[in-house]
Amino acid sequence: MRTSILSIIAVLAFSLAPAWADHHVTTVVDGLDNPAGIAIQPETGHVFVSDSGASRIIRVVDGKAQAVITDFPVDVYGKGPMYNIGPLGLVFIDKDTLVVGGGGLIDGEELLRVYKVPAAGQAAIKADKMEESFKLSPTDDIKGEGNFYGLASNGTHVFVTCNGDDTKGWVSRAVIKEGKLANYKRFLATKEATEVDAPVAIAISPRGELVIGQMGEITVPGDGLLTFYNAKNGKLLLNLETGLSDITALAYSPKGQLYATDFNWLNTSEGGLYQLISKEDDGKQSIEAKKIESLDKATAMTFAADGSLYITVIGTGEGDAKGGKLLKIAPGL
Amino acid sequence: MRLLPILLLIISCITVEAADEYELQYPLGLKRMPIPETNELTAAKIELGKQLYFDPRLSRDDTVSCASCHDPKKGWSNGDHFATGVRGQRGGRSAPTIINSGYSYFQFWDGRAIMLEGQALGPIQNPIEMDLTLEECVAKLNAIEGYRKQFQAVFGTDVDSVGMAKAIASFERTVLSGNAPHDKFKAGDEKALSAAAQRGSKLFFGKANCSACHAGPNFSDFAFHNIGVGMDKSEPDVGRFSETQMLGDRGSFKTPTLREIARTAPYMHDGSVKTLEDVVEYYDKGGFANPQLDEELFPLKLTPEQKADLVTFLKEGLSSEDYPDIEPPTLPK
Repeated sequence: MRTSILSIIAVLAFSLAPAWADHHVTTVVDGLDNPAGIAIQPETGHVFVSDSGASRIIRVVDGKAQAVITDFPVDVYGKGPMYNIGPLGLVFIDKDTLVVGGGGLIDGEELLRVYKVPAAGQAAIKADKMEESFKLSPTDDIKGEGNFYGLASNGTHVFVTCNGDDTKGWVSRAVIKEGKLANYKRFLATKEATEVDAPVAIAISPRGELVIGQMGEITVPGDGLLTFYNAKNGKLLLNLETGLSDITALAYSPKGQLYATDFNWLNTSEGGLYQLISKEDDGKQSIEAKKIESLDKATAMTFAADGSLYITVIGTGEGDAKGGKLLKIAPGL
Repeated sequence: MRLLPILLLIISCITVEAADEYELQYPLGLKRMPIPETNELTAAKIELGKQLYFDPRLSRDDTVSCASCHDPKKGWSNGDHFATGVRGQRGGRSAPTIINSGYSYFQFWDGRAIMLEGQALGPIQNPIEMDLTLEECVAKLNAIEGYRKQFQAVFGTDVDSVGMAKAIASFERTVLSGNAPHDKFKAGDEKALSAAAQRGSKLFFGKANCSACHAGPNFSDFAFHNIGVGMDKSEPDVGRFSETQMLGDRGSFKTPTLREIARTAPYMHDGSVKTLEDVVEYYDKGGFANPQLDEELFPLKLTPEQKADLVTFLKEGLSSEDYPDIEPPTLPK
């Protein structure tokens, strides 16, 4: 037993060294409306963003936003504050194929959409012009799924965090087959595994484990979990308290360091970017969440190949102006 | 040579403190409780807290103790719609059970206090509950030699409000309920639950959607939700909103534990629902519609048999034969 625990500790060591402290944050694009997802296009390196409240996906080229996919359905999240949400999580499965998690439809009707994205400079396409789409309908015993917030791919599967059935907290999974998706199903009941609500953030570790940020309750501070699962069979490998309140994104830097964004719904002024540093106490693994940068309602992040970190924040707009931004932290994390 | 007596003194102090260390025993099904480093459990402190908890001299007219509204004989609640304080004054909310309350970060229905230490002195100072200022209460207790001696032994001071809060909180942390038929069934005892309770359990964690909020070892997420109770009034109790001023919290109250729920009628924050059968009927209808109604409430369409099974699970599955039926101690003079 001791051997197996130690081997798990060794396997799941995720961030051993503190981050480089002198980083530089710049605003790439502002005026976004509740941006909630980021993906980097293979080969071009273009940054794609879910401009969620504006019901569109944009591509950022040379600091300019270009609409790529428009007219997604939009819904309202929250009872006050309220956020308009349309498209959410994004992931490319090849250079031209973008998978988009939806948030604008009711649970059970919500769609995971797959698009062939037009090349830079070409006209945007409408949201209903997807190549294919999938939903997780209700059954007699299981609620329908929706709010497909976080997407990640390990090359063979696309994994999706869902927020429909709060008794189960599903992570769903689809097989990637010849540039298409197939067999989209509920995969992991994270709430049954952890007894904590809401899988939201998602990443694939350098060793291939599925890493999930369990958000917990938005009205309770410090209940966010970091969990590791076997991506093939869904077995829970490790479940760690983070002390963070509402983890919205997870990402590994090219150096293999793990980072999380904390929205911190109860006190958004305390939200930010954190490095998750692995600790060991009496043979038991734990986490130190070290704050790297304060962020105003961070929602998503991803590292580019050069080590730049892109982060979306909802921000705080003045008057009718939208406060959403795409931020960039220079390579070095 | 002069070091030796000092060393012996240090060793003797350590020995005395170590002998008083209290290791909380967790019943089957419960996890380790978060206990503040500034208030570690000791047997003497718990005993002192128990005396304070049951002592009506903590009220202005010596008629109301903590146990008056949180009575071990009544599920550590009071069996009434509302809490009743000195001079028969009645509050506007029911008395929540103390059982397993040590696990909750937020205390009171609206979460206005943090941890049990933050809660313990609230009712003493409430004019419609125990109606004493802290200064008055401390003075009263310092006039009781038995308390003065115990405070000196436990805290090294005369009676003060900080020590009172720590002692009461320590005692309340020992009021635990677990090892219920549900826990035994989950641990592998297939005979621990009747067939009806097993069906009810499946509904609880599935179609009936109870575990969306009543989750985890305590059957509570200890978060805040608007389930519509009382929202039909012209001036409803706004609950958590009074603390956060966030619109989404209007009409929200903390999710109560369901452990020992059969003993804690009447139900809801205002004690407005008399029986568990009525509670299930309320949820089956989807609660009372209002702008902040939690999205986890919706018509469940349970059959009469399913409703009965659900109630059976609540009564049978969550009632422990090890119920913490603690007798009042002899009070100091």
